[in-house]
Amino acid sequence: MTVRKRLLGVLADAALILYFVFALFPIAWMVILSLKPANQLFSTYFSFTPTLGSYRTVLGDSEGIPFVRFFVNSLVVSVGAVALSLLVGLPAAYASARWRFKGSENLMFTLLSFRFAPELTVIIPLFVLYQKLGLFDTYVGMIWVLQLVTLPLIVWIMRSYFADLTPELEQAALLDGYTRKQAFFKVALPLVKPGVAAVSLLAFIFAWNNFVFPLILTSNEAQTVTVGALSFLGGDRPKYNLTAAAALVSVVPPLLLALTIQRYLVRGLSFGAVKS
Amino acid sequence: MIGLRGISKAYGPVTALDGLELDVREGEFFCLLGPSGAGKTTTLKTVAGLERPDSGTVLLDGEDMAGVEPYDRGVAMCFESYALYPHKSAYDNLVSPLRSPRHRLPAAEARDRVHAVAELLGIGALLDRPVGRLSNGQRQRIALGRVLVRPARAFLLDEPLSHLDAKLRQQMRAEVKAIGDVQRTTTLYVTHDSVEALALGDRTGVIRDGRIVQTGTREEIWYEPHDTEVARAFGRPRINLLPGTVTEDGGFRSPDGKVELPVRAAAPAGTQVLVGVRPRDLSLTAPGHELTGTVYVTEVLGRSVEVTVRLGDQHVSLVAPRGDTAGLRPDDPVRLTVRPENLLLFEADGPEGPGRRIGKR
Amino acid sequence: MGWRLTLRPYLLIVPALLLTCGILYPFGLGLYYTLFDFSASKPQPDMVRLHNYETVFTQDAFWNSAWVTVLYAVGAAAAETVLGVAVALLLHRSSLVGRVLEKILILPLMIAPVIAAIMWKLMLQPSVGVVNHLLKPVGLGGVQWTDTPAGALLSSIAVDVWVYTPFVAILALAGLRSLPTSPFEAAAVDGAGWWYTFRRLTLPMLWPYVLVAVIFRFMDSLKVFDIIYALTEGGPGDSTVVLQIRAYLEAIRFQRYSFGISYTIVLWAVVYLAAMVLVKHLGRIQRKAAEAK
Repeated sequence: MTVRKRLLGVLADAALILYFVFALFPIAWMVILSLKPANQLFSTYFSFTPTLGSYRTVLGDSEGIPFVRFFVNSLVVSVGAVALSLLVGLPAAYASARWRFKGSENLMFTLLSFRFAPELTVIIPLFVLYQKLGLFDTYVGMIWVLQLVTLPLIVWIMRSYFADLTPELEQAALLDGYTRKQAFFKVALPLVKPGVAAVSLLAFIFAWNNFVFPLILTSNEAQTVTVGALSFLGGDRPKYNLTAAAALVSVVPPLLLALTIQRYLVRGLSFGAVKS
Repeated sequence: MIGLRGISKAYGPVTALDGLELDVREGEFFCLLGPSGAGKTTTLKTVAGLERPDSGTVLLDGEDMAGVEPYDRGVAMCFESYALYPHKSAYDNLVSPLRSPRHRLPAAEARDRVHAVAELLGIGALLDRPVGRLSNGQRQRIALGRVLVRPARAFLLDEPLSHLDAKLRQQMRAEVKAIGDVQRTTTLYVTHDSVEALALGDRTGVIRDGRIVQTGTREEIWYEPHDTEVARAFGRPRINLLPGTVTEDGGFRSPDGKVELPVRAAAPAGTQVLVGVRPRDLSLTAPGHELTGTVYVTEVLGRSVEVTVRLGDQHVSLVAPRGDTAGLRPDDPVRLTVRPENLLLFEADGPEGPGRRIGKR
Repeated sequence: MGWRLTLRPYLLIVPALLLTCGILYPFGLGLYYTLFDFSASKPQPDMVRLHNYETVFTQDAFWNSAWVTVLYAVGAAAAETVLGVAVALLLHRSSLVGRVLEKILILPLMIAPVIAAIMWKLMLQPSVGVVNHLLKPVGLGGVQWTDTPAGALLSSIAVDVWVYTPFVAILALAGLRSLPTSPFEAAAVDGAGWWYTFRRLTLPMLWPYVLVAVIFRFMDSLKVFDIIYALTEGGPGDSTVVLQIRAYLEAIRFQRYSFGISYTIVLWAVVYLAAMVLVKHLGRIQRKAAEAK
């Protein structure tokens, strides 16, 4: 019995390891590719003389692709989108958690439907509209359209955090002599701060990882890393090592952030439908 | 001082308050007693301005409070959940009202005040602790302390003792009443515990289904309960309620004729009634109107004994000194006595509600 | 004073409402465009009423795209569900290996899908890609991964599975960890076997959690774009042209705006219907699970 049990345990661990090889090998392979010198790219697989040359090329803009600027663009539009969503989303989330009323239910439902709407439904008209308004290939245009990604996430998840918070804490603050605004900032907000931090980071990651908006609504000035990384694959001769380096550089911020918010991910990923 | 006039409040299809009327006098300790769901907390929150009534008027010192924000009403409230700020220390919880724009005390003065209140409540040593690391009893004291630190027109206390174990509850009950500020300040105290209400309240209001059923001193509520349910709510063991009818001469007779009592009912003969007699008003030895039955079961309650006696189809319980019950065994015949002036008479309970008390001639 | 109390919640949502309208406006505009024959070559469009939709539904290209989209969504969602739940069950044993690996479970999920597709594109390259190199010893050296219709679709699904299996696994694991322990203890006392326990206890109680994941995955993969755009661009031929790719080609490549938007509107309707059905189903399942507890 115990022998059989132990054997099953080993098998289960082996199956897990197999999955994680599948999950992690592509990342490892990108690291290898990005460290390969160009002349060993296709001649070898696992033995090569590592070099940081690809990173130097990618970050030195020497292929005519201003990757550093794309990186900065990604940073600006993602932070901007999250900040705007927080600014308008937190009050809305709070209001709809504290007072159920028709307007807020409609707003919540509309935001949820954004989450599941095909992006192109909105982008194609925006593509036409932005060119008229001069918002094509601008930060403002990108931050606006990224609300489609960040606003539903922030409002829905913060609503679930606020709803978990008993209103009696804010009521106690009111009776202590604080105004409603003070009750929100001194009591409610500090208590959901971990939630705000986690959902902001998650929204940042999703904004950063977005591809279809910058693909269609930017061309150069406001282009982001996801589109930038793909352009290394273009041209007549695909530059595998450079592509790998660019891909890795562009996944560093989301990966680092993701590891810091593990505990809050479940609620974030499920839009507040599953709490852990 | 606190006046509620025709307050109604519904949450969707659920009616919480249904034309509630209440008057609490200046400096009074008023207990609001009722089962859960009767509207007690809603009443407090309405007074505090945390809930807006659908209709009706809240008066504080005769002033209409409509549109007055909670922070401008000058009342202090202790929540049943305590509602302590979980991210702050005990001290910061206590000092919170004194730092607010309404009270804003200089830091040193606030500190002295907090320490004085903490001393009074015996929590002086806990002030640095985060509230997450306090026991229920300690949290309860902090919550009470947060009410006491600042001047208030009225204290609103929502079941402040309900989460404590029996021993602590008894101790705190005595302490609360002894606090000087509580003695001086109008206090509206909500509880579902009738013992607490009788022990603490200068007057008690019984609330049921969003209305006040009866208001009175403990004597009034004890001796002149409005209906059978109020009578049942007070006293352990519970009041005995025997069904029967009014006889031609205004007496009481049970359906099987085994129990007859001279109650002098102010009701026509044949009226279906319940006669109420408290277990402590029945005796095995004292003179009075006699009834005979058989012992059903006896249960020792310390120095006294609860004896349940079968009278025909009915059971009645009585509490007697231990000495009077020596040698009583189940099925022993027993003679009990009752003083007619201690009997209460009610209409029979009907589908529309518990039976009301009927006067005597 | 009273009106301020009534208005406060509305005031708080006004900014979000405005921003939402800012997003709804292009959506409405798009809907309006579909009634015209607006394109780059015809900037002064004429009203054509429902003609665009008529064209969509009578085109073979649409039905092909719809079919590919459904294949992709069903295949990806099904594979991710099975694999994700399996991974969650294995991690739930919390062996030493599991506890270590759980920390990095989410990595693929946090990589932009388009970057993931790029990574796999490099690996699946038929002649110099590392996958074929590793498969050579088993005699599968020269697989034309993305160059055959079936291979391209399967490869795209594989990338989707690579990215999103952790999503299902994370939600399922959260579900597993929140299950009550007493039914399992009772089953163990009764001597129930592993399979019986899994079928009769674990799966039914876990299902509401898994269903949340399935809904998200199915609806998201109906509107897949990034992965296919980077991996196959819809090729070879039309074999992986899912609906959003078709809309992109029509509207952006060929600049037939009105016609392209019509495609997305149809897709939107499909996603919306799927959402309604699934969410209703979820509500029923959750109620049932709540009653069982």
